[in-house]
Amino acid sequence: MSPLLSMENLTGGYGDADILLNVDLHVDQDEIVVIVGPNGAGKSTAMKSVFGLLTIRGGKMLFDGDDITGWAPNRIVQRGICYVPQVDNIFREMSIHENLEMGGFLKKGDLTAAYDRVYELFPDLKERRKTMAGSLSGGQRQMVAMGRALMLDPKLLLLDEPTAGLSPKYMEQIFQICRDVRDTGVAILLVEQHAKQALAFADRGYVLAAGKNRHEGTGAELLADREVAEMFLGG
Amino acid sequence: MELLELLNFYVIPGIVLGSIYALGAVGITLIFAILRYAHLAHGDLATLGAFIALAVVTALGVSPLVALPVAIIATAAVAVGIDKVFYEHLRERPKIVTVMASLGIALMVRSVVQVVWGVDTQTYTRGIVRPEDYFGLRIRDRELYTVAAMLLLVGGLQLFLTRSKWGKAMRAMSDNPNLALLSGIDNKKVVMLTWIIAGGLCAASGFFLGLNTELKSMMGWHMLLPMFAAAILGGVGRVEGAVLGGLIVGIAEELSVLVIPSEYKAAMAFAILLFMLLVRPTGLLKGKVL
Ligand SMILES: Nc1ncnc2c1ncn2[C@@H]1O[C@H](COP(=O)(O)OP(=O)(O)O)[C@@H](O)[C@H]1O
Ligand SMILES: [Mg+2]
Repeated sequence: MSPLLSMENLTGGYGDADILLNVDLHVDQDEIVVIVGPNGAGKSTAMKSVFGLLTIRGGKMLFDGDDITGWAPNRIVQRGICYVPQVDNIFREMSIHENLEMGGFLKKGDLTAAYDRVYELFPDLKERRKTMAGSLSGGQRQMVAMGRALMLDPKLLLLDEPTAGLSPKYMEQIFQICRDVRDTGVAILLVEQHAKQALAFADRGYVLAAGKNRHEGTGAELLADREVAEMFLGG
Repeated sequence: MELLELLNFYVIPGIVLGSIYALGAVGITLIFAILRYAHLAHGDLATLGAFIALAVVTALGVSPLVALPVAIIATAAVAVGIDKVFYEHLRERPKIVTVMASLGIALMVRSVVQVVWGVDTQTYTRGIVRPEDYFGLRIRDRELYTVAAMLLLVGGLQLFLTRSKWGKAMRAMSDNPNLALLSGIDNKKVVMLTWIIAGGLCAASGFFLGLNTELKSMMGWHMLLPMFAAAILGGVGRVEGAVLGGLIVGIAEELSVLVIPSEYKAAMAFAILLFMLLVRPTGLLKGKVL
């Protein structure tokens, strides 16, 4: 079976400089895949490349049988990929419920089932649905951001550092929600700073450094790799 | 001076003028929030709206209030057209390019008004209207219509922005344009909606200025500064702020006559604008930082 998403030999960047250099990466159905790597390695850039938010100069992006290289964001969303950026990932001056409604903007007809599904994953949000998203704590904002991205029932969810700045308790909660989401049939590609925890939790991982693939394997394989351990996991 | 005299000669005219400014300022604030530039043709678009209403009144012999909806629709269409023909092509360029272009559009729209309707002063109706007496408050019907129409139009807009799907999409685009795109919201439709609303409100603003005073080809241009002052005073991107700002600027202009010569009335808006930018650039109701 061909993978759900595959980046093949992708090269590109902002303006003239290339940030990503021949990156290969794939995500299978029902998989949680994590990208780790030092700051500035190009992890966020790799995520953005899925949505064509930079200049792609080489390689291609395949999703579920389509070549989606160069597609407009709304078409990609429609096709089944939703994305939670690393920063500015909520509508601050809109309520939690309105954030979700915007997430479901492209859905024709009734959103009730989608709201129910998201509120079931994030019961905290349901209680505070009228609250302005900008007034929430970091962890709750992250949940709003994920909830917004789940409204369209995507096939693939992209999460850029969903646990950045969160307490270990919240981190565990977010990871658990990722598993729950995956169990409903949504594949997840995420970028993580907390490399050790993320590799332990993901099915597979990629180590990206200076815009290139450095290592890939199952979480356990990468955790056991001496070079990877020295690079990121503090020996 | 008596309280009634203060109310009748300064506060009531101030509220009427403020309502007229508010109608324009709401459009300015929406354009600022969604397109992120200062639209300098706003005043002259108001002039155009006022004269379109005049054309309807003269051609069909109907009452000015009947002509208003026609002017609103026509001016909204003109605003959308101007965006499609001019501003849309500048979207990717630095915003200052569009600001300068809008100054050019202002001159162009004014020239069209002068060519079609001439440069003389005109009115919707002839004759003097005496105010009615309401427990000592002297108010003309047209003044009531002005304030009521402003409240109705802005109230309707607020409902649209908070209740409807596309109204929320406009707020989303103002709040976080990138995330709006990633949510699949169609930027082009939001921009078009913004122009429809701003253009329609412009026409109402110009119409009521014409109804309460007279029609001149420079009438809208002279409102540009007070309208911008109102939008910034209220907090950029804040519809209710623009209304509050409009009323404050209108009342302040009328009251200023008590302390400074009336020729300097227009300087009042400038003083408020300057003061606000220095003291609290986010406006009274926290808006976007300029
Ligand atoms: N919008 C942008 N424009 C120009 N350069 C950028 C932009 N975003 C990131 N970069 C550069 O691209 C490189 C990779 O950044 P990023 O993908 O954000 O790294 P990571 O997410 O791995 O920390 C960095 O050198 C960064 O400075
Ligand atoms: Mg990053």
